[in-house]
Amino acid sequence: MTQVQRSPTPRLSRRRRYRRLLFGSIGAGVLASLVLRFLDYPVLGEAVYWLGIVAALAVWRGTDVALFDERDRSLERRASQLTMTVAAVILVLGASAARLGATLGLFEVSPFVSGALYGFVGLFGLFALCYLWVRART
Amino acid sequence: MKNGVRTRREAADLSQGELAEAVGVTRQTINAIERERYDPSLELAFKLAAYFDCRVEDLFDPELDGDLTA
Repeated sequence: MTQVQRSPTPRLSRRRRYRRLLFGSIGAGVLASLVLRFLDYPVLGEAVYWLGIVAALAVWRGTDVALFDERDRSLERRASQLTMTVAAVILVLGASAARLGATLGLFEVSPFVSGALYGFVGLFGLFALCYLWVRART
Repeated sequence: MKNGVRTRREAADLSQGELAEAVGVTRQTINAIERERYDPSLELAFKLAAYFDCRVEDLFDPELDGDLTA
């Protein structure tokens, strides 16, 4: 069996620290941006937002520590599949109800709902493109 | 998948964090494998087997009826 050093686990600690820094940068950027926009500093808010995003990217790309492992990727894959399934159900039922309601004159679909349904259509279009791209490379 | 990771780890007097560091994953991943809530990739299964100096089939048992404590 390979011997393991019994001292504290610096690599694991660094992973945890960098992950917190990555997500913290995004969270702090978004929060500060919201506050600044609320205080009527929209341009400064946008700048702080981008600062958070760039800081997160710098942490992600700038470290030699793997921030995510295979279980993280597996969880993301399963969550993505669930998201697409939920989106598909909403689109199928929502689009059908919207068409039927308009045809029978029962209700008018608001621009917000209509836009959301087209957003789902766009999401599935993007998914199809990504699927084809990944398939071509695999 | 049923496995003997916890048994071998405890026999080696290792924490989950120490084993995780040794094979390059998070402590949560080792915990999930031990609780049979996550099946590792082939690469990780081979890393774990190499670490414990045993065969993959000695460590993981998809048939759920093998003796994994040896």
